[in-house]
Amino acid sequence: MSNTTKLNVIGLIFGAMFGGVLGAMNLHEYDTIHAMLRLDEPDIFLFMASAIVVSAPLLWLLERNGFTTPLGGELRLSRSKPEAHHIKGGALFGIGWAIAGTCPAPALVMFSSGAMLSLIAIPGIFIGLHLRERQQRGVGHSGDGEHRDLVTLSK
Amino acid sequence: MFDLLPDRLPWFIGGPILGLLIVGLFVLANQPLGASGAYVQTSGLFRRQAGVVKWRVWYFVGLFVGGLLVTRVLREDAGVRSGYDALREVFPLGVTIPLVLGGAILLGYGAALAGGCTSGHGMCGTAQRSPASLAVTATFMATAILTTFILRVATGGAL
Repeated sequence: MSNTTKLNVIGLIFGAMFGGVLGAMNLHEYDTIHAMLRLDEPDIFLFMASAIVVSAPLLWLLERNGFTTPLGGELRLSRSKPEAHHIKGGALFGIGWAIAGTCPAPALVMFSSGAMLSLIAIPGIFIGLHLRERQQRGVGHSGDGEHRDLVTLSK
Repeated sequence: MFDLLPDRLPWFIGGPILGLLIVGLFVLANQPLGASGAYVQTSGLFRRQAGVVKWRVWYFVGLFVGGLLVTRVLREDAGVRSGYDALREVFPLGVTIPLVLGGAILLGYGAALAGGCTSGHGMCGTAQRSPASLAVTATFMATAILTTFILRVATGGAL
């Protein structure tokens, strides 16, 4: 199996596991995210915080020990400095998130769960991303979050 | 279908599983689990752009498949419905649709401008201890909570 195929399989499996966790946490429901942002219940904040508490030290240890990944070379974490576009983008994202009650990954789970207003939300997200892409022209790799230069795969 | 899962997985089980998924994708491929990037690549594929990162398109498909398995197979299926229950109780459909569409466009634009969303910056970026991701996350949490508060006041506490 070529590395490209392996990475595609990994993408599908990790997507499915992530989507499964989001569904199991009910994050595909508007009501869950709305209750979180109303500060009615701490569960989703604790869900996010515990994921970071588990992953951050492990990533730190792996990077410190010079871990080499099978498909992406030596593990190197990104630590960019905040710039104006981070703050502006984050501010707009938060407003949209609160109104639409969903974000990119949960919106897909919303669709698979049978909630039909996701057919409004998902195209909306595509339109929003596209509007920004048109301003930038040709920057095709935005949106992955913190990300060092794209890994070049050996075929 | 099978009703094997509780209505909501406890956070102290779901959170650590997500943490291990984040680490797992870094360990295998040195990549963050960001979802907005998957949208960007998927739209690039449909528009036949050059240099599409294919595995992120598979990741996009995977999100749908995993959600389907959990919400409709492992758990009792809620069936085809509009969703957005709390919003629909307050607003008619003619208001809900433009609200959801406008919110989604804003969040998509914001995610592209910030370079990531709740998963890319909020989870994977903070797990890397990135100052930029911490700034994005603090900002979107603040504006989201504030916006929700404004919506609540504007609807007289109904929302």
